[in-house]
Amino acid sequence: MRWRDRVFVCLISALSVVPAASEEAGVSVRDAWIRETPPGMTMLAGYMKMRNNTSRSQFLVAASSSGFESVMIHRTILKDGMAGMVHLSQIELAPNGSLNFAPGGYHLMLMTPKRTLRAGEPVVINLKFRGGLVIPIAFEVRK
Amino acid sequence: MYRTSLKFCLMIATVALAAMLAGVWLAEIYRQHDSRAMLLPDRVMTLFPEPKPLTAFALTDDKNRVFDLASLKGKWSFLFFGFTHCPDVCPTTLAVLARTRDIIARNKVGADNIQFVFISVDPYRDTAGKLRQYVEHFDTSFVGVTGDNAQIGNLAAQLGATYQVAITPGLENYPVYHTTAVFLVDPRARSHAVFTPPHDAEAISRRFKVLRELAAGNAT
Repeated sequence: MRWRDRVFVCLISALSVVPAASEEAGVSVRDAWIRETPPGMTMLAGYMKMRNNTSRSQFLVAASSSGFESVMIHRTILKDGMAGMVHLSQIELAPNGSLNFAPGGYHLMLMTPKRTLRAGEPVVINLKFRGGLVIPIAFEVRK
Repeated sequence: MYRTSLKFCLMIATVALAAMLAGVWLAEIYRQHDSRAMLLPDRVMTLFPEPKPLTAFALTDDKNRVFDLASLKGKWSFLFFGFTHCPDVCPTTLAVLARTRDIIARNKVGADNIQFVFISVDPYRDTAGKLRQYVEHFDTSFVGVTGDNAQIGNLAAQLGATYQVAITPGLENYPVYHTTAVFLVDPRARSHAVFTPPHDAEAISRRFKVLRELAAGNAT
């Protein structure tokens, strides 16, 4: 095999591995970020844009990170004109649908950071889906 | 037949010309009264027809100084009720208010006669030191304020804010509910306007600029 063919074979096998992996993942996440808070604060929020690339529902059931004592799925709700938060045990991503975690709505509640997080730093949060799938996502700390 | 269609054409032309002139005239009126047109009730701000004078209350600021009715006099105050263990709504709103202040500060009149006050409804966890550390992260000029429940309730009720602190024994992260509106108090310590969420720095600062100009015009 000439080296060009070898590169070609490598490329082909690489290409065939990547789609298989993301198809298995089924969910893509982008624009993942955490709002920087003053040092010593125990509650932070993580936001992201999720997309279900499969034709069946996907369920986010938990999240965890070595950077925090615990991570919970929360939603800000309005109750009698006041904002409050509810804890969700899972969130459904509709087939081929998108779901945004954004200020004032769904967010990951990040409790007790193990170190002070500065803008620009990444923090990995593992998103766990029903069926055992875990996707690690790098969240960027932003001002 | 020809005469009828000519007449008709003339009529159409006249109507079109009138409409154009009306448009130009309306645009001019709008330009002149831009400031007032902007103060019509909208989704961003509710302006009270009669500003409501606030009455005495007694709170403490983040440097353990008294924060009372006198603290609201002589400057415009943006007030927001929240708590520091609030991961979503409070940091989002304070970040918007910090941008609002930046925009106003760039304006000719500036932001010297304005204060931004974060009132914690959770005095059990939010000590003066914690409040100071929290608010100055967003803007060093921001003031954190809290006090006993009766006094927070007193000011909240006067402004039309509501909150609920559901302290639960054994639960460290008890739920807290609070109004997410931002209240604007004028330099005579009168409840002047309310900004309703979702908050946007451009929208708030634009309306505030007009309000302040109008108030200055009324005062002279």
